[in-house]
Amino acid sequence: MSDIPFSNPGWAGNTGEFDLTEKEVRGDDFVGDRPKDGGHPSGAGTMPYMLVDKDPDAPLFEGEYRQRFEKILTRYPDKRAALLPVLSLAQELRGHVSAESMDEVAGLLELSPAYVRGVTTFYTMYNKRAVGRYLVQVCTNISCNLCGADEVLQAFLRYTDAEMGETSKDGNFTVIEAECLAACGFPTCVQINSRYYENVTPADVAQIIEHLKPEGES
Amino acid sequence: MRVISTHFGDPLQRRLGTYVERGGYEALKKAFSMGPDEVVETVKASGLRGRGGAGFPTGVKWSFMPKEATKPHYLLCNADESEPGTFKDRELMRWDPHQLIEGCLIAAYAIRAKHAYIYCRGEFFETNQVVARAVEDAYEKGYAGEDIFGSGNDIAVTVHQGAGAYICGEETGLMNSLEGRRGEPRVKPPFPAAVGVFGMPSTINNVETLAAVPHIVNNGEEWYRQWGTESSPGTKLFCVSGHINKPGNYELPLGFPLSELIDDVCGGIRNGNGLKAVIPGGSSVAILNSEEARRCRLDYEGCIDVGTMLGCASVIVMDDTTDIVKQVRRMVDFYAHESCGQCTPCREGSAWAAQIMKRIEIGEGTVEDLDTLMEVTEQMVGTTICVLSDSVAPPVQSSIQKFRADYLALISEQESAGAT
Repeated sequence: MSDIPFSNPGWAGNTGEFDLTEKEVRGDDFVGDRPKDGGHPSGAGTMPYMLVDKDPDAPLFEGEYRQRFEKILTRYPDKRAALLPVLSLAQELRGHVSAESMDEVAGLLELSPAYVRGVTTFYTMYNKRAVGRYLVQVCTNISCNLCGADEVLQAFLRYTDAEMGETSKDGNFTVIEAECLAACGFPTCVQINSRYYENVTPADVAQIIEHLKPEGES
Repeated sequence: MRVISTHFGDPLQRRLGTYVERGGYEALKKAFSMGPDEVVETVKASGLRGRGGAGFPTGVKWSFMPKEATKPHYLLCNADESEPGTFKDRELMRWDPHQLIEGCLIAAYAIRAKHAYIYCRGEFFETNQVVARAVEDAYEKGYAGEDIFGSGNDIAVTVHQGAGAYICGEETGLMNSLEGRRGEPRVKPPFPAAVGVFGMPSTINNVETLAAVPHIVNNGEEWYRQWGTESSPGTKLFCVSGHINKPGNYELPLGFPLSELIDDVCGGIRNGNGLKAVIPGGSSVAILNSEEARRCRLDYEGCIDVGTMLGCASVIVMDDTTDIVKQVRRMVDFYAHESCGQCTPCREGSAWAAQIMKRIEIGEGTVEDLDTLMEVTEQMVGTTICVLSDSVAPPVQSSIQKFRADYLALISEQESAGAT
């Protein structure tokens, strides 16, 4: 996805020294083209947070995903340590981590199902139930809040016609409130699937939603 | 003046070729020629203090590691940036990933570790891809992995993504999380240098700390000490956000006056409004009123002098239109959400404080609620495994002490409504 208008192409505190395009700021040369087999094991765990098109019945794991799984295992002295990246890999494929997925991961890593459920439910990024094609996370913590994050959140709820935390009727959007996304210099920060949208104002929301709707990619 | 942020905004800096052309990885070569102990001594002499919030001297931390690696040692880079108001590590990683990788390699060498894990915040998907690509490039060109530049030193670097939990920024919580456990902090002692990740001696440093290391090794301790104060040497990234005309990351010498940062460097407060309050170090430190902010110097001691802490230098500026009660309530909600739940004072205290704050915010509070808040937060300090619990007290207590009128205004509305 590209060419979303965003008002501050640079880092917060841009000195105007460089004339930057959005692609350069985002590092498009580096982002989004990771090989599906994960490339070098050192980075094989870095992956899309969520794909737009999910397959809740995708196998854990086959083909290139299997290769990625194997590479992740090589990076740690024991199998347990691979749990977080492997859960992320399962979520990338299936869109959320159901109880059944947790049990399958437990089998793969020779851990008890109860243990894996305990770990999975500790972390907020694992969706315990299905979410829309786009998971919209609006930061409402202090720095964004001072600059109007509550209004941005309301605008997303209005334009997607979704209840907070629920998925819109068309299955496209789930809107939730997020804790600080560490982009406080670009308020309000909104994370939509893997991508950060910065300096979002209520006036930008309609445009972002319209832009996302027809597209089929993350 | 920029040391670690020199190349912010230059997309070419992400490329290994450019980084090397500009003198990158020279510090690593130099470190290999110095030997681990001399590297530790240099960093110790530079006075570099941990940039993650606690400000512990980095070289001293490194010197706690066993001198002989009879067991595997690990270097951990804490890139789980999530303190509200802090946004420096993401910029350091996405603009200058090799600077961080070189810092990790030098630190790993100094503590005799053969494996460095960069624990990246899970939400930083885009940033993590930049770092992962840089690590891959470093492997490909022989700057990481086995027998780096033919020196016989093997150091593996792994990018590990977290999965969303503020508490994993706490050092032992991070270690548990890296081991595939719930990110619950551990009781210390044993300290990480004795028993860290995977039960082995480990050192954990913040991204900004490690980013400064190559520069110190290259230029020596005296060079680094030209900035800052005697006890807080060097430069620091200040993350300025909130009601400010030019929010951003500004690299400045430690000891810089807060008022100059707000008025001159950041172009003043939005709409020409007056200053109401400033949080100088992220959401976990005491709020300053405008008078205290005027005389605050931004170094570790200067902040303590005005009753707060530098933390990770996340300056959150609030103008005179700010609803302090709402903002403190939002911060307390954050801690209630992020408490890992191990220790009762934190789990219960943060949840109850959040409910009381909410009650006051919607006009249903009483004057006694303020005393209850003070008491509840007082009991959250020093009674738990980690300092997340301790972090709830400063914003609540300082706001009640300094902005009591704001609280009373909400309460008296309710009381007069009840009287009618």
